[in-house]
Amino acid sequence: MRLMRYLWLALLVAIPAVAFAHGPTRQKVVLSVDVAAAPEVVWAAIGNFQDMSWHPAVFSTTGDGGNAVDATRVLTLGAEGGPTISEQLYKYDAAKMSYSYRITAVDVAVLPVTNYSSHLTVTALDGGGSHVEWKGAFYRGYPNNDPPENLNDAAAIAAVSGVYQAGLDALAAKFGK
Amino acid sequence: MLLALPATAQEFAYVTNQNSSDLSIIDIDRLVEVARIPVPGSPAGVAVSAVGDAVYVVSTDTKTLRRFSPAGGAAAVAERVLDGGPIGIAVDPAGQRVFVSDWYNARVWVIRAEDLAVQSELATGSAPAGLALSPDGRWLVTADRDADQISVFDARTLALRHQVGVGLRPFGVAFSPDGRVFTADVGSNSVTAVNPATGQVLGRVATGERPYAVAFAAGRGFVTNQYADSVSVFDLATLAPVAEIVAGEYPEGIDATADGGRIVVANWFSNSITVIDAETLAVIGEVATGDGPRAFGRFLADRPE
Repeated sequence: MRLMRYLWLALLVAIPAVAFAHGPTRQKVVLSVDVAAAPEVVWAAIGNFQDMSWHPAVFSTTGDGGNAVDATRVLTLGAEGGPTISEQLYKYDAAKMSYSYRITAVDVAVLPVTNYSSHLTVTALDGGGSHVEWKGAFYRGYPNNDPPENLNDAAAIAAVSGVYQAGLDALAAKFGK
Repeated sequence: MLLALPATAQEFAYVTNQNSSDLSIIDIDRLVEVARIPVPGSPAGVAVSAVGDAVYVVSTDTKTLRRFSPAGGAAAVAERVLDGGPIGIAVDPAGQRVFVSDWYNARVWVIRAEDLAVQSELATGSAPAGLALSPDGRWLVTADRDADQISVFDARTLALRHQVGVGLRPFGVAFSPDGRVFTADVGSNSVTAVNPATGQVLGRVATGERPYAVAFAAGRGFVTNQYADSVSVFDLATLAPVAEIVAGEYPEGIDATADGGRIVVANWFSNSITVIDAETLAVIGEVATGDGPRAFGRFLADRPE
């Protein structure tokens, strides 16, 4: 029992250190797409934090707390038993059709980033249709000096851009350009 | 020309744009960017001298410290390549020394202002980020982010006097005009007040999500909240919350004008600064910057003569 308690303490101490460590320069990615469907229609498809099924890389979404601040979700990628990304909601505004979340746990082999936060927003286009913007702020996967190539700033930007582009392309296919 | 200027001191903001690697120089009175100077290597930390005759900038990616002369054009007048992970910087009130934190190696470089030669190193806790000198020049303080503490040094002897636990992951640190130290605790959404002489924690203030840095004006503290896109305002005497002001996205660096009339905030994601009236708490205006403004440090100074 005593050993278990110490193990838990060690975990509690260790996890924040991993989650907070980061490299020197925060990166940003902003991608968007314009689609033909009305904002309400697009938001109905992507505005539920507990349902990421609109993204082709996501196999399943499980979570707690609905769309309330501090709600959590775990995305399983690819197939059953695939790699996961754990995320937490920190802002949600249905009227503005916008939500913000951060990654609480991901293997850098899956997504080579640390300290990642992201915003998804739908706005109306003049003359009909919707503008969907997805943007993220993050550090590279390697928190120390002289990162290996697969965990440097460029790798982080490329990986996040790839995720966003795949999601936005799926929305364009579903809702028409 | 000088006679045509208003009687009050005009102030300039020197904003480090980390993602576009340049420095925006912004006239805070007229709300216009008057120059943008290239600064290679992703600049983040910035510090202006008390009399406004020198601007120091730390580029994280190239580990380079530069000094610019506001009256002297776009070329750096001094340059020094460091190692490790230089990030935060502060100038002592007499203007003879600068202090630079090394994020990766738990130390502070003591650097001669004139030629940027390293004179000595001070050991801190893990991942020192922000640092600050007390208004009377007596204390040097570092926010040791991954040690959840501040280190307090005697600025004259450079002896370590206290290491004080604050909130989780303190990043920005600043002295109030009355000489107390305040940390912005990124990991616990709080600001912690410390007496630098005794090392005693004096109190805590709840902030918005992910507080980054603190500034003071009009008897109040102002805290940027990165994830809340806002500035938390608290009363300096009681430490009670006063208001929360909407800023741009991902607000980071924050500083007060010398007359205490205005607060200026750098919005990292929005690529702008927000200028706030410190008395009425109304937003006076927003000015565009380069990409990724951090302005991590004291970045406001009197207009160069």
